Amino acid sequence: MTTTTTAQAEVAAAGTTYVPLSPGAERIGRALDWVIVAATVLVLTGAFHLHFMLTAGDWDFWLDWKDREYWIVLSPVMAITFCGAVHYILWQHFRLPFGATLCVTLLVVAEWIVRYVGWHGWSHYPINLLTPAYFYPGALALDAILLLSGSWVVAGILGGSLFGFLFFPGNWAWLAAYHVPVEVNGIVMTLADYIGYENIRTGTPEYIRIIERGTLRTFGQHSAPVSAAFAAFLCTLVYWMWWFIGKWFSNVKYITSKGL
Amino acid sequence: MSSVASKGLGGTAAKSEARGLSYYLQDLKWLILSVVGMTAFYSFVIWYQRSFGHLYGMDSHSPEFDQYWMKWLNTELILEPVLAVIVWSAVWFTRPRNEVASAVAPRVEIRRYFTFVMWLVIYTYAVYWGASFFAEQDGAWHQVVTRDTSFTPSHIMIFYLSFPVYVIIGVASVIYAMTRLPMYRENGVSIAHILAIVGPFMILPNIGLNEWGHAFWFMEELFSAPLHWGFVVLGWTGLALGGVAMQIVQRVNMLLPQVSD
Repeated sequence: MTTTTTAQAEVAAAGTTYVPLSPGAERIGRALDWVIVAATVLVLTGAFHLHFMLTAGDWDFWLDWKDREYWIVLSPVMAITFCGAVHYILWQHFRLPFGATLCVTLLVVAEWIVRYVGWHGWSHYPINLLTPAYFYPGALALDAILLLSGSWVVAGILGGSLFGFLFFPGNWAWLAAYHVPVEVNGIVMTLADYIGYENIRTGTPEYIRIIERGTLRTFGQHSAPVSAAFAAFLCTLVYWMWWFIGKWFSNVKYITSKGL
Repeated sequence: MSSVASKGLGGTAAKSEARGLSYYLQDLKWLILSVVGMTAFYSFVIWYQRSFGHLYGMDSHSPEFDQYWMKWLNTELILEPVLAVIVWSAVWFTRPRNEVASAVAPRVEIRRYFTFVMWLVIYTYAVYWGASFFAEQDGAWHQVVTRDTSFTPSHIMIFYLSFPVYVIIGVASVIYAMTRLPMYRENGVSIAHILAIVGPFMILPNIGLNEWGHAFWFMEELFSAPLHWGFVVLGWTGLALGGVAMQIVQRVNMLLPQVSD
């Protein structure tokens, strides 16, 4: 039986000659891969974390900010940005389909480090007030759909929608316990609210807590699914936009020094 | 096997290879030393913040603040330009002279790409500390202390220490690339590389907007406020390292068939 690798088949289809590398050259290539991976992981961690903390961070920092209106929309929409850009770079150039899962993993690791060492270690907030959100179900779905479809359009429509839709149910398992009602001095509130009230935040007084505004509480029990649907819609558009931002940033063009 | 030196790698590489380390990894020790050193230094910084932040960093008008925090800041502002001149000069003056870019041996060129990517690893590790750890930790400070100065114990470490450190390393990587790598010497300036260095560099002057805004509008710390979005947009340029990676991979793929080990 003749066996050919995908690379060999692609080279043959292009009408060129396939030249196998020597074992030594292959070792060099693999070693270089690992050094590039280290730089990639570190820059993604820094850039994505900075982006996320300064666009949706307040809803991610605090347990009592994880509401049914803003958190469910802002968090996935701001998180799918880098997922789209990294999808372009990893999928188009290297046929690696795990860009979204990689991004959200690096984000949550970076968040846990600073939540524990920084927020808890320096300012002594309880760690359950600081638990970050998770994006794994949506990210896995987005990666899987890109892998199966091979299309950024399909990945945006189906994967992007699932990224938005699955964010709230993906976090509900750990968050639900903090949304049980408690009575404190004759006032009913959620346990999350109570933990928030008990830990004074000088920098975030109550008047800038942006949660559940407008007429949301007259809408009964379907507020969260409606927010998730809106997030799904936005995630599709933002994914497509950031796919092309990834394309633009990963260009291999040069300019002459005179052009500077 | 012919000697490494005979192929233009020089004595240092030959000694590294003699110790069992492949010629292209001869600078790995510097990478490890840099990462360990940076980790140790920033761990000390975190300890210093924990020890003297709330103790002497609450009132910028107190003499203790001057002693424990402003002296640190002034030291940074003196040492960082000196460090920049030393690092950039070292990279510049050790460049190969009278070398024709197209005549560089493949093994030499491959080794330089490894060294270049190691520069980028150190750069991105410094970016991690500034953009990820110290940036979010700044929120931890502002949630418990209302600022009365731009030079808080948190800002002194993030804005005026961790940011300049990655700028120094990033610019050094540009000098290295422009003086050693035939790909850049022949083709010109890599747009992706310049974006990946200049974008995060511009976060440093963007501090002016941030501090002006906090002094002008509000003293609370809403992280998602538009005032902070300058940092966000400039941080996106980190993605341009994807383009740099593409350039390196393309070039090394051309070189690999020309070497056997």
